[in-house]
Amino acid sequence: MTEDLVLPAPRDAVTDAPGEPLLEVEKLVKHFPVKGGFPIRRTVGQVQAVDGIDLTVHVGESFGLVGESGCGKSTTGRLITKLLEPTRGRISYRGKDITRATRRELAPIRSEIQMIFQDPYASLNPRQTVGKIISGPMEINGLQPDGGREKRVRELLEIVGLNPEHYNRFPHEFSGGQRQRIGVARALALEPKLIVADEPVSALDVSIQAQVVNLLQKVQQELGIAFLFIAHDLAVVRHFSQRVAVMYLGKVIEVGDRDSIYTRPRHPYTHALLSAVPEVNITGEEAAQRERIRLAGDVPSPISPPSGCRFRTRCWKAQDKCASEEPPLVQLSGNHTGHLTACHFPEDPTIEARDEDIVLDPALAALEEGAEDD
Amino acid sequence: MKAEEEQLVGRSPGQLMWIRFKRDRTGVISASVVIFFFLIGLLAPVVSWLYGKNPYTVYADERPELFDSAGVPVQPNGGISGEFWFGLEPGNGYDVFTKLLYGIRTSLGIAVAVTLATVLTGIILGVTAGYLGGKADYWISRVIDFLLAFPAQLFFIASMPVVVSLFVSPRDETPVYVRVVALILVMWFLGWMSLGRILRGTTLALREREFIEAAKVSGAPPGRIIRKEILPNVVTPILVQSTYMLPNFVTAEAGLSFLGVGIVEPTPDWGQMFSKASTELVMQNDITYMFFPGISMIIFVVAFNLLGDSVRDAFDPKTAR
Repeated sequence: MTEDLVLPAPRDAVTDAPGEPLLEVEKLVKHFPVKGGFPIRRTVGQVQAVDGIDLTVHVGESFGLVGESGCGKSTTGRLITKLLEPTRGRISYRGKDITRATRRELAPIRSEIQMIFQDPYASLNPRQTVGKIISGPMEINGLQPDGGREKRVRELLEIVGLNPEHYNRFPHEFSGGQRQRIGVARALALEPKLIVADEPVSALDVSIQAQVVNLLQKVQQELGIAFLFIAHDLAVVRHFSQRVAVMYLGKVIEVGDRDSIYTRPRHPYTHALLSAVPEVNITGEEAAQRERIRLAGDVPSPISPPSGCRFRTRCWKAQDKCASEEPPLVQLSGNHTGHLTACHFPEDPTIEARDEDIVLDPALAALEEGAEDD
Repeated sequence: MKAEEEQLVGRSPGQLMWIRFKRDRTGVISASVVIFFFLIGLLAPVVSWLYGKNPYTVYADERPELFDSAGVPVQPNGGISGEFWFGLEPGNGYDVFTKLLYGIRTSLGIAVAVTLATVLTGIILGVTAGYLGGKADYWISRVIDFLLAFPAQLFFIASMPVVVSLFVSPRDETPVYVRVVALILVMWFLGWMSLGRILRGTTLALREREFIEAAKVSGAPPGRIIRKEILPNVVTPILVQSTYMLPNFVTAEAGLSFLGVGIVEPTPDWGQMFSKASTELVMQNDITYMFFPGISMIIFVVAFNLLGDSVRDAFDPKTAR
């Protein structure tokens, strides 16, 4: 489509050296109050959606955030884009504290942090033309690009692989993938430095997913935009991200560069997640056998999370220490620099098959038992 | 090249609605009927000028030969003739045709004013409640509940004299405009809640949509979000509701005038003509008098309600009626 299109260089690329921290999140906490009681409604509990996480996204880096549904990854994204007010903690952008910034105080950096949303059917105003949707952010921020906003919008449409002639069309005339491209163009309109992509492809068809991920990757590499890529699809994150953090129940339990997380994971939960990725072996060749871990049960309620290590209720290695003491997120011996794990009893840094599969699900275990007996 | 450009211009939801509406024969016919009534109301002075009469002339004094000693028109059917198309009113002898034209003008004028006032109030309070949520939402919703619990008709009848006496002392003659303003005020006061409630719900649903969040992420102030993102999306319920509300206000106004608390003689009014038609003199001597305001109001209300259904179908083709 537009594979050989040259993208314009970002405006002030010189000011940022890659590797410098762009966004820093420290001890970020978001609790949602649970109201109840009659006749006087009062707070009866707290949903601990995000409970003290630390993240750093560097200039031009793509950072992946993975985890099960309800582990707080989307809340984290919304906290960073200031759609939600954090309960505690600190968010700083280029060293400037924006945790409690009001809309006016935020105005100068608003254009630098943008967001791509999950549902392309809900993220575009059905009553506005594509042109209006994409030029809206420029209008709000008083951006006046050379040649006018309309020309810039047409350029952006071309960058995201749409026909510039679609300027006057309405969102309902597009497919899901095209709508998501419009969403990407809207995020790019302000020439941001950081884009928070909240599950940008999980609502799309698998064949379209690849196109959109490739578009995002092209944008990320050629425009040097840092990405916080939130997803539950490990394969997509592996394809896209240089560094990955794994979240479980509001905590970051392991963070590191892509290879460390995907080939030398230490946390049992990361092992379990990786083992749950389906594997397609078309050639029939005997590839290196992967370990097999099947967890049982659901994620515990974030209203009353387990004490100590939050994963201990589903962990096969849990001991008394795990219930009493919360494991710190530290670099374990034998790990690469920057590969941090929060576990008292880490696994070996390998994903190869072990002597015995770990099947915690009693139903599945019984099934397999029966199959062996036959 | 020109043709190609035109092809690529998308159709807005509004244009799609218009295309669907034009295909609906009932809708188009009832819309023309409704427009016809509004034109009559607007052009009443022009029509009566062409017709050469006005609704205030007392023909019982001017042309006494047309009436008998009781004040009933001599000719059959209330004195319908080539000169007086719809006949003459027994008693004072007003011309029924011009009286009906001006009556439609008064009633529609009041109903339109009430509709505009209620729509505006509904938008302001409903969208505020829905967008802000929390305490504002709670209190506005409680006010709506409270006002909805009022028996509307009783309240109108009871409060009309009270509201009128706020403006003029009961001993003085009440000017017509005071009665009109009082009618508008009373009907507005108990008229806006249904629309307000619908808009609150719609806004509440819209507020959670991701395109609102996208606007927030790009730094849009709340005023802009409401104007550019929310209001265009609540046009549908506003239009549909107002096409249902307007005929209701017309009948409510007519009802009040019929009961004697609305517009009074000699100002022409649709509802007041029914009141006249039900007096002993008219009932017993001139049954045709009821025919003209009656038929015209039935046609108007039915056409407007059918139009409301068609507008709703055009905006929202998926829901079955």
